[in-house]
Amino acid sequence: MKVSGSTNWKGPVKFRMPTAENLVPIRLDIQFEGQRYKDAFTWNPSDADNEIAIFARRTVKDLKLPPAFFTQISQSIQSQLADFRAYEGQDMYTGEKIIPIKLDLRVNHTLIKDQFLWDLNNFESDPEEFARTLCKDLGVEDPEVGPAVAFAIREQLYEIAVQSVSSARESRLSKKSRRGSDYGSASKASGLSMDLVKLFSFKSSVVRKRKDLDVYEPMVDLLTNEEVDALEAREERHAR
Amino acid sequence: MEASTNDRSSSFKDAELELYTIPAHSSWFVWEDIHEIERREFAEFFSESSITRTPKVYKEYRDFIINKYREDDSSRRLTFTSIRKHLVGDVNLLRKVFLFLENWGLINFLNKSDDGSMEESEAEIELGTPAGIRVTATPVSMRPVTVPPLVEERAEPAFKFSPLTSYSDVFTDLNKPLLCGHCGESSCDSAFYQHTKSLVTLCDKCGDCGENNSAHDFKLIAAAAWTEEETLLLLESVLKHGDDWELITQSVSTKSRLDCISKLIELPFGEFLMGSSSGRLRSSIPTSEDENLSSPSNPLEQMKADGLEQKETETREEKGDDHVVDEDEPPAKRKRVAMLSDGGDSSLMKQVAAMACKVGPSVTTAAAKAAIAALCDEASCPKDTFETTCDFTDFAVDRADGDKGTSDMEEQQEDKEGPQDLPVALRMRASVATALGAAAAHAKILADQEEREMEQLAAIIIDQQLKKMKSKLKFLDHLELIMDAEEQVMEGVKETILQERISVLQFAFGSGITKRWDHT
Repeated sequence: MKVSGSTNWKGPVKFRMPTAENLVPIRLDIQFEGQRYKDAFTWNPSDADNEIAIFARRTVKDLKLPPAFFTQISQSIQSQLADFRAYEGQDMYTGEKIIPIKLDLRVNHTLIKDQFLWDLNNFESDPEEFARTLCKDLGVEDPEVGPAVAFAIREQLYEIAVQSVSSARESRLSKKSRRGSDYGSASKASGLSMDLVKLFSFKSSVVRKRKDLDVYEPMVDLLTNEEVDALEAREERHAR
Repeated sequence: MEASTNDRSSSFKDAELELYTIPAHSSWFVWEDIHEIERREFAEFFSESSITRTPKVYKEYRDFIINKYREDDSSRRLTFTSIRKHLVGDVNLLRKVFLFLENWGLINFLNKSDDGSMEESEAEIELGTPAGIRVTATPVSMRPVTVPPLVEERAEPAFKFSPLTSYSDVFTDLNKPLLCGHCGESSCDSAFYQHTKSLVTLCDKCGDCGENNSAHDFKLIAAAAWTEEETLLLLESVLKHGDDWELITQSVSTKSRLDCISKLIELPFGEFLMGSSSGRLRSSIPTSEDENLSSPSNPLEQMKADGLEQKETETREEKGDDHVVDEDEPPAKRKRVAMLSDGGDSSLMKQVAAMACKVGPSVTTAAAKAAIAALCDEASCPKDTFETTCDFTDFAVDRADGDKGTSDMEEQQEDKEGPQDLPVALRMRASVATALGAAAAHAKILADQEEREMEQLAAIIIDQQLKKMKSKLKFLDHLELIMDAEEQVMEGVKETILQERISVLQFAFGSGITKRWDHT
C-alpha cells in the first residue's frame, strides 16, 4: 500500500508543485498594436521547449493575431517557465501545512466565491479533479469555469510554494540545528498554525462550527449580460 | 450518536432495511470500530505521523458524512461540495474519504449519479473562441511585455472577431416562413423586403403599397430558394475565399451568411468544400458546375470530369448510377470522399484506382460488379468486340492506362477503321469492364489477405495472454513455496519458545517458587 506523502516531518524536498501533476500556471497578458491578448493555462514544465513555439504559432493562427504576437507569447511563456525552473533546484519546506484557499473569480457569466482548506503537503492533491467535482456538484454549465477554478488554485499553490522556498532558505541560514518543530515554523506564514494543533487535538471536533459554515461554503452566481458588462468596465478601469 | 441510531433503528425497524441500504459487500462496516479495509486504505491516518490525521479524525469524518447522508432523507444524493463545508481539513483528503464511502456503497447507494451521460455528452460547438481568451482592441501603447502580477482576475471578453461557424448558427432560424405584412401571403416566391426600422416585412408585389415608406427603407430578405446563378456564385466564392464568410456573403449578395452556410452544407459535396483548403478542388469544379447543379446525384463522378470527353462522362454516369444504387445506403447524406484530381492526371483508371483505395474493398467490389453488369447488359455482344478486334482491344486497354486519355484512342480508332461495325463507345466500355474486373479481383485478394492477417494477429494476442497467465501462476507457486518455508521457520521458532518456557518453569519449580505471581 502506498503511503501518502504527508508526514509530520520530512527533510526538505526539491521544489515542485505540490499537486499530483507538476503543472505550472502560466498567465499571458500581451498588448501590441491595439490588440490585447489575455489568457491563463497550465503548462507541463517537462515538455520539450519547442512545444512552446508550436503552441504560440497555433494560438496566433487560431486567433488570427498579428504575427508579432508569436515572439511575445513564446517569450512570455519561456520567462515564466524559467522562473519556475529557477526555483526547482532549491529545497522547499514541507511540513504540515494546511492553508485556506480562496476563490473569487468571474468566468463569463458565472461568479464563484469559495474558501476551503488545502494541505500543501499532500502531493497527491489534484486541483483539476477538485474543480471538476465543484462544477459538477454545483451544476455549473459553462465548461470554462472548471479550468479557471483549477488555475486559480494552482496559482495560489505556486505562490505559497515559492514562499516556502524562501522561508526554507531563511530558516536554514538562521538556525543551525533544531529540527523538532519544523512544521510550526514552516506554517508560520499561514495563520492557521496554532489552530491546527487546537483543531486536531483530542478534545475538539473536526466538524466545523456553525458560524464558520458560511465562510467555507461555495457560492455560485449567474450574472446577466448587463452585470457582466458593468463588471468588465470596472475591471478595465482598475487595470488602467 | 450510537443512541440516536438505536432509537431510529428501533422505530424504523421494518423500514430500516430500505432506508439504510448498503450493498452486501460492505457489510463489514460497523459504527464503533474502524475496519481493516479502512485502515489499509487510509494508512496515513493510522501511521501516527501527523497531527491532522489521526484515527479519531478519520472516524469523525466518516461518521459525519454517513450521518449527513442518512439524515437528509437518503433519497437525495449527497454531493461532496455540500459536505466539505462542514468539515475542517484538507479537501483532497476529505474527497478521498468521500469517494471511498461512495464506492463501498455506504453513502449514495440508492442514487447513483449518471456519470456516463456527462462523459458521453457531445462536444458542444461554441460560437466564437472561448470567452476566456479575448483579443481586445485597446489604444496603442508600446508598454513592455511584463509578466503581470499574479492576481485573481479573469480575462475580460471584449472585441469579438469573426466567429466560427456553429451548428446552431446554421440550423436555427431556418425556414421561417415569411409573411407579407400587406397581403398576408407567405407562399409567394418573390423576394421579401424588410423594413429597417420596424419589423414589417413586405413581399415584392406589395412593395409599393406602404405609406410613407420609401424604397430605401426596405432591405431585401433573401428568398428561401436558391437559383442556379446564386449557387454558382456561392461555389465560386467559397473556392476563392475559403473560410471567410463575410466575403462570401458579399459576393452572393442576395443571401445572408446563414443561408450561404446552410446551402453549402446541403450541397452534396459542400461539406468538404468547406473543410478542404480552397485550392484543392479548384480545378475540377468550374467546368462541370452546371451539371452538378442539375444532377446532384452524380457529383462524385462529375468532379472527375476535368478535361474528359463526353463519352467518358456518359460511361461514368452509368457507373455512378450503379455506384449509387448498389451501395444500399440512405441517400440523404452519404459520405463523400474528397477526390484528389491533380492537374493533368485525368485518366479514368487512375481515378478509379484512387477511388477504390479510399473506399473499403467490399464497397469497391460491389461497385465494380454492378458497373460491369450494367455495361455488359448494355453492350449486346461485347465478345464480338473482343474477338474481331482483339489486338485492338489490347491496344485499347493499354491506351486506357495511358495518360493521354481516350481522345487519342478515339482518333486512332477512327484512323484505323473506316467503317465501324461497332461503335467506339462499346469497345471502350468493354475495356473498361475488363479493367474493372481486374480491379475487383485485386480487391478481393486484398480483403482475404487482410482477414488472414487479422486472424493471425488475434492468435498472437491470445498466445501472449496465455503466456502472461502462465508466468503469473508460476510466480504464485513460487510465493507459495516461500510461504511454506516461512511457516516451517515459524514452527521452529514456536518450538524453541515453548522449550524456553518449559525450562524456565522447571527452573522455577525446582527452586520452589510457585507458578502464580500475583503481586498486589
